[in-house]
Amino acid sequence: MSVPGHPLDRMFNPKTVAIIGDKGPNYMWLRNNQPFKDRGGNLYSVQIDEKEIPGIEELGVENFRALTDIPEPVDYALVAVPRHVSPYVMKDLIEAKVGGAAFFTSGFAETGEELGVSLQAQLTEMAREANFNVVGPNCMGLYLPRVGVRFNPDVPVADDGRVGFVSQSGTHSIMFSLVMGANGMHLSRCASFGNAIVLDISDYLEYLTEDPETDVIAMYVEGVKDGPRFVQALRAATARKPVVVWKGGQTDAGARATMSHTGSLASPHAVWQGIMRQCGAISTNSLDETVDAVKVLLDAKPSTGKRMALMAMTGGQSVSITDAFVGQGFEVGRLSEGSYEELSSFFNIIGGSFQNPLDMAGTVQGKRETLERILGILDADESVDALVMEQSAMFGARQWKDHPERVEDLVDTLASHIERSAKPFLMVMHPAHEEAFVAEVRLKFAERRIPVFASFERAAAAAARALPQGTRS
Amino acid sequence: MTFAETIASARTQNRTLLSEVEAKAALGDAGVPVTATTLAQTREEAAAQAEAMGYPVALKVVSPNVAHKSDVGGVVLGLESHEEVAQAYDEIIRSVQAAQPSAAIEGVSVQEMAAPGVEVIVGVATDPQFGPVMMFGLGGIMVEVLGDVAFRLAPLGEGDARDMIDEIQGRQVLDGVRGQPPVDIGAIEAMLDRVSVFAAEHPEVAELDLNPVIASPEGAIAVDARIVLAEA
Repeated sequence: MSVPGHPLDRMFNPKTVAIIGDKGPNYMWLRNNQPFKDRGGNLYSVQIDEKEIPGIEELGVENFRALTDIPEPVDYALVAVPRHVSPYVMKDLIEAKVGGAAFFTSGFAETGEELGVSLQAQLTEMAREANFNVVGPNCMGLYLPRVGVRFNPDVPVADDGRVGFVSQSGTHSIMFSLVMGANGMHLSRCASFGNAIVLDISDYLEYLTEDPETDVIAMYVEGVKDGPRFVQALRAATARKPVVVWKGGQTDAGARATMSHTGSLASPHAVWQGIMRQCGAISTNSLDETVDAVKVLLDAKPSTGKRMALMAMTGGQSVSITDAFVGQGFEVGRLSEGSYEELSSFFNIIGGSFQNPLDMAGTVQGKRETLERILGILDADESVDALVMEQSAMFGARQWKDHPERVEDLVDTLASHIERSAKPFLMVMHPAHEEAFVAEVRLKFAERRIPVFASFERAAAAAARALPQGTRS
Repeated sequence: MTFAETIASARTQNRTLLSEVEAKAALGDAGVPVTATTLAQTREEAAAQAEAMGYPVALKVVSPNVAHKSDVGGVVLGLESHEEVAQAYDEIIRSVQAAQPSAAIEGVSVQEMAAPGVEVIVGVATDPQFGPVMMFGLGGIMVEVLGDVAFRLAPLGEGDARDMIDEIQGRQVLDGVRGQPPVDIGAIEAMLDRVSVFAAEHPEVAELDLNPVIASPEGAIAVDARIVLAEA
């Protein structure tokens, strides 16, 4: 699926990809893009250096001495040539009517030196005149998990990605893709746009807004060149799908000369936050906050209600989970009388409690029917808007290692509950002393779309940001 | 004088700070409630304007060089008779001249006193990337120390003004605390909306403060106004 007729559609849905200027010994870009070839795409190399060609051919990739020699229309090109060669490559890209090209090549205006600035100006002029789609330069380019175009050898190839990501930083685009993958979530499309000499954040945002494969948009931005256009694109995007904006460079450097109270208070950060709210975007300040917010958006049902039913396994955790959610503006109030009546008929109050939060390890004791019964009572309770359950690896890991079927059973219980329930359900699983094991287990939950968070605080913060815009039906 | 004429006159005098009288006239024309404010250049004028306005009145120095009027003894509040007004006029001129001898004094403004209420601040700043932005906050310490304010792009869209008001930490104060009646939130919204349209229509305005605006159950009215023009 694509956005027919959109100027970026060819490069975002490539059938033929050219890697220009990749070199040994690693052939990083050709290796990154092997999955594109494996998935049936036409992957070509363009390299004039004779001594590099055997290595390229060993990878099973056909090499051409010139881009214009490639017999098929090239939809996307990744350019990794030395910067002084880039204008010649640009000329060929334009002549060959390539759908779009990302310049991994750096050393342009970001250096601040004269040669870099003038080369960038030259590329910009050539591309603008030809109306040619340039990603970057000084960027990691596109990551298209469905077709197998990648900017890193570890980011997943996946058919189920629903999150579009746009990033001013190459590192953040790779980190986000990897951490999303480690949380069982995949991207639909990603663009690292670097110096943005032609295509800028708003262009990508507009494409992702139209893109039927993208249900949630996230972005990393440090600054925007065209504020009004960005605001317009962002408003149009949030009208269609949730948008998470991770802003880098939050601290306000230097004092501004102002003659009014308002002027002195209008720090770029304060103004940015106001604009994000006005545009209906979700603001985040870090990678983890962004991943967490996206997780809520993808896997939680929407709710604007603030009344939480909190389930923890022990007394101390009951207190902490409550502190975290109340601290984010949620209410942890009394359940309905009917719920108390029902819970009192079986709840073990020795070493437990069912006021809300529910302290329930002693009652559940690993019994599926009991957990299902509690979930059912809370789901039916009209004074509850959303459910959060804690399951710490402190106790869980040992049991789950000894009895892997108990993980499957818990996952199935919770996944079935979520399918039946109209209310959001979040799970908190602190890795405790079992980081590596929990990283594996977490994926089993993610596969069944149970949103799992590493701490109460992260779950509560993500819920406060994103619960009203949950996309799960 | 239209706002365009005010701007032109400020430009010819090479100043970017408009006087309170000029700022209030422009905002009043834009439908923003401001306290009645006239410029007096003699003690007799001041007394006559006060008689016409009705008591109590406030007197404030008008000078393009004075940034903080009360710091130089340039403000006297709660005057109840024409004798008091005439006397206050002389006092203001004397103390401003003493405190800031280089200040050019155009006169003294005679102002209607607003009924008591909650002090809030409504402002405009210009963001270099995004253009004019609106600010709302509670007045006094909440703004100056805590920075408890909300921003939105101008002009405001539907619901934006209400969101700004609801966003501040001290929001409850507007609902009435310690037996105070709740203020007219709708009046603050209307003021924010009108100021935002004014800001969007006048890109020459770089900064604007209505500080304080007195919000009460009866409405919201700006008792002080400052407009800073962008450099020409």
